[in-house]
Amino acid sequence: MYKNLENYLEEISHYLSGRAEREEILAEIRSHILEKAELEGGIVTEASLEKVLAAYGMPRRVAEKYLDGRPVIAPAFQRYLFRYTGLFFAIHLAFIVLAVVFKKNFIVFPFLFMPRLGIIEAVMYLPTAFLSDFGIVALVLYFITRSGKEIKLPWPRFAPDLDEVKAPDGKTLAARIATLIGAGIMLALTGLAIDLFLRFQTIFFVSFNLKKFRPLLMPEPGRQVSLIVLAMLAAGTIGLFIKLLSLSRRLACWVDATADAIALVLIGLLLRQPYAGLFAVHVSPGLLPKLRFTLTFTLLFVALVVAIDLVANLVRLGRGRWIK
Amino acid sequence: MDNELGGLETEMKRGFLQLLVLVLLEKDAYGYAMVRAFRDLGYEVEENTLYPLLRRLEKRGLVRGKWDVSEERPRKFYAVTDEGRSLRDELVGIWNHQDRILKQLINKEKEHVQEP
Repeated sequence: MYKNLENYLEEISHYLSGRAEREEILAEIRSHILEKAELEGGIVTEASLEKVLAAYGMPRRVAEKYLDGRPVIAPAFQRYLFRYTGLFFAIHLAFIVLAVVFKKNFIVFPFLFMPRLGIIEAVMYLPTAFLSDFGIVALVLYFITRSGKEIKLPWPRFAPDLDEVKAPDGKTLAARIATLIGAGIMLALTGLAIDLFLRFQTIFFVSFNLKKFRPLLMPEPGRQVSLIVLAMLAAGTIGLFIKLLSLSRRLACWVDATADAIALVLIGLLLRQPYAGLFAVHVSPGLLPKLRFTLTFTLLFVALVVAIDLVANLVRLGRGRWIK
Repeated sequence: MDNELGGLETEMKRGFLQLLVLVLLEKDAYGYAMVRAFRDLGYEVEENTLYPLLRRLEKRGLVRGKWDVSEERPRKFYAVTDEGRSLRDELVGIWNHQDRILKQLINKEKEHVQEP
């Protein structure tokens, strides 16, 4: 028994788990290594075995050569992973909107159960919806690949490809200058907002006359909404500075995805704010529902844009890792 | 350039090694003896590639493996089967045909270079 040889074989065995012929494979490798060590080193010792083991290769690489090495998703189907995910996510998104607007459960048995969702839950649910669609499409393509059948997957010629989403070029000088200007503006805005908040506990004013201070919102809701907007500004500023200081595209994608996720949560918090008793100034009763509709619609539109950007960033981050 | 050559060499070797094994196994041999036989001919084979290849050929019925436990160290001996022999003959024919085409092409190129 040579400890290093047994450890080496044990490691190969680990990677070959589940294969019926594992013991025979290991016996053959053991026989080969012992014979080589004896013939080339004169005598079998742990030291002479060490050389032979090193020449034989890393255990994982050795084990992989016995495995079929078939891709999880066949190369011909890899493009469809993001095509179909994009398509299913669009349908999923439509059901989410229906569940929010009509305040009802939607069931497409056995594929989808969309419970009645509030606006904040719907916004928070979007990334999960994308990931679940991605997982289902990947699973179906995996089974199609495993079947080995000649299957031509349909896709209309005119349809756009989500997998053609390109990572932004963050390395060009122009892009870096734009980021620098953006970061500067955001820093100034954040600084101004923090200054106003520290002085008046709100950043929303009817008139910007410091001697005759008139807030737009009531003190408590005004404070809450101001804090949410401040958090949005701060997250945006930090994100821009991280991108400015880093040359990594991948990090830039992570920063964008994180900023999008934070923005979605904050938009959700804004949408939860009750309108009753929100304004510190007189708003006519007829105008309030219209104002509420406009603000909600605007915030939902922004949330949709942010969610699409978040999905695009997740695609960029995941694509390199999954399609290999 | 070295990487490019290495990759292409690996691709070329993959098929060539199968052919060599089918030719060599006209006589029974075990893995390490095959590695040494190839080395004596000036052909280096990665040991960790040979054994999985033998296993695949065995699964396809092209070679037959049998453990010899009569000696102190058990060894698995392989030999080509009738099916493997017939496939090998066809492969040798393809190899010779490709070799002829390559030589003709190289000779033509040489003539072109010498003409002007």
